[in-house]
Amino acid sequence: MWTIIEQIFPYAIVFTIPLLITALGGLFSERSGIVNIGLEGLMISGAFASALTVNFLQDKMQGSSILWMGLLVAVVVGILFSLLHAFASINLSADQVISGTAINMIAMALTVFLARNITGSGNIRITSGFTPFDVPILSQIPIIGDLLFTKTYATTWFILLVLLVSAFILNKTKFGLRLKSCGEFPQAAQAAGINVVRIRYIGVMLSGALSGLGGGIIILTYAGEFTGSVSGLGFLALASLIFGQWRPLGILGATLFFGFASTIANVSQVIPELAVIPPIILKIFPYVVTLIALVIFSKSSQAPKAAGEPFDPGKR
Amino acid sequence: MKKRNFGLAMSMILAAGTLLGACGGADDKDTGSKDNGKDAVKVGMVTDAGTIDDKSFNQGTWEGIQQAQKELGIQSKYLKPAGTTEAEYLKEMGNLYDAGYKFIVLPGFKFETAVFKAQDKYKDSKFVILDGNPHSGDFKPVVNDNTVAVFFAEHESGFLAGVASALELKEGEAGFIGGMEIPAVQKFNWGFQQGVKYANENLGTKLNMKAENVLYQGSFDNVAAGGQIAAQMFDRGVNVIFTAAGGVGVGAINEAKTRGKAGDKIWIVGVDSDQYADGIYEGEKSIILTSAMKKLDNVTFDLIKRELDGDFPGGETLTFDAKNDGIGLPEENPNLSDETSAKVKEVFEKIKSGDIKVAAEQGDLFK
Repeated sequence: MWTIIEQIFPYAIVFTIPLLITALGGLFSERSGIVNIGLEGLMISGAFASALTVNFLQDKMQGSSILWMGLLVAVVVGILFSLLHAFASINLSADQVISGTAINMIAMALTVFLARNITGSGNIRITSGFTPFDVPILSQIPIIGDLLFTKTYATTWFILLVLLVSAFILNKTKFGLRLKSCGEFPQAAQAAGINVVRIRYIGVMLSGALSGLGGGIIILTYAGEFTGSVSGLGFLALASLIFGQWRPLGILGATLFFGFASTIANVSQVIPELAVIPPIILKIFPYVVTLIALVIFSKSSQAPKAAGEPFDPGKR
Repeated sequence: MKKRNFGLAMSMILAAGTLLGACGGADDKDTGSKDNGKDAVKVGMVTDAGTIDDKSFNQGTWEGIQQAQKELGIQSKYLKPAGTTEAEYLKEMGNLYDAGYKFIVLPGFKFETAVFKAQDKYKDSKFVILDGNPHSGDFKPVVNDNTVAVFFAEHESGFLAGVASALELKEGEAGFIGGMEIPAVQKFNWGFQQGVKYANENLGTKLNMKAENVLYQGSFDNVAAGGQIAAQMFDRGVNVIFTAAGGVGVGAINEAKTRGKAGDKIWIVGVDSDQYADGIYEGEKSIILTSAMKKLDNVTFDLIKRELDGDFPGGETLTFDAKNDGIGLPEENPNLSDETSAKVKEVFEKIKSGDIKVAAEQGDLFK
């Protein structure tokens, strides 16, 4: 049993990381008061941008620097895309759910359209993505060495760093507290002299940047090919955000749970010890647990109070 | 003023985005050849689940149509239905018919019931269904005079891939990852197992297969699952995996590439078309040992040609196998030794002549 866990663990983490960073992006947006169900679309645009960048550069340059450039472009494209959502929901006071849905639809169609016109095929393949490595020394530690420091990707450590920094920013800095106040009671925040519109713009742009990054990481770690979708991971990230109660460490736990449950469901067929459980049970397990958890926590839900409401300075 | 201009610009971008989005959604492409004017035969195609460049069914069929366009001067067009239900398929077939495309190619068993209805509804139109038989839902085939049903002997293709893998590896462990548990995929699996067994019994190889390493993932698009399953198989000592699983196979190939780059001696056997290029991880080195091909493009091209020659085999159910070169391995397999290629060719001839019979049934094989 132990060897099974050891073998599955690194893959579950690789699967979790894009989910985690996208959920974190959603957190910034929702904490500032803008519901962003366009995470899926933003991930797709990031995945597309990184695949295209790496595909163009891989013949001309060597080394992993092109992969980081791919991620950088994914972040930029994610931000640009999220500006559409920010503009519609902040300046135009549009319904945020509809605007987010529009982002999803545009991204899915536009990326395939562009891919086909630029490369001649709707699928963009990269020759090689990030290479997993064992962390020196730390991977020798018994038990946790095998679980946490074997076959890790550079992006994993980078994302965990981003998570820690984000948790610090949200809870300990002036900007973080202002961002949260805009999601709770924007009128009061404005009365206190905070520029709500600007803070919300930053929140949505951060969600675009991080979701784009998440999409890029999918391509450069485990997918290896852009095919016009991220198979619903954006929505799963949204669910993790709620499951994790809009807190950075909460979403870390929630995404790890989803990551593990999905990985176990995926590989159960190959592993004789797990094959006795019908695969369908393993596949629905994380979603059933989420539903139950949402019911249990619904009373004490910590959702930002003003999330989803267009900001009206005159309202009290 | 400045603010208003900014707002205007953003609105324009939003509007443009929606417009472009609409373009991408209604995926169609009219690539008529101009020099042939009105008289050119119009060949249409409706795509199955997935895109036109899925490196599998849709793409293979479309390549055959495009070859016909180049060489025979037909006009071609494909339409992508909004979903994969009979109603959506029928709608796109109707759209093609209304636009004058009266030779319609439909790749995939999912079109079976839709073709059953369409062949009666559009009597002056011709239909080609690949990998399926028109039926009303009761699986009793009804092939009208304006329809041709085409099947492939996937098991023979899988058999050759199994023999090639066993010969090249000499000994080790083999696995199979399928997409959905449908006849075309199952036949690849059964053929592959028989091929490995044949090589072990007659050609002195020792390539082993375990029941747990033969499985169907259950979809054609779960890339993550493909990689994870392949990883578990490799970790359990599997040296070569035969994937017949679309996007799931893409995940498996990606995982294999990562391991190949790290120096592991592992292989993937591709499916449908020559996937060698998909598995390149460094320079010219590819993780794809060989591919069990199904020559959709040749078959589509041939049928269009026969239609132009007035020789459309309406009402028939055709099977493409080793005998008429409808299946096989790629011409060039850089990862196979000359010795292996020569022996595989011998086996291929034996299948052709009927000396070796590959069963299309499960029998006592795994899954």
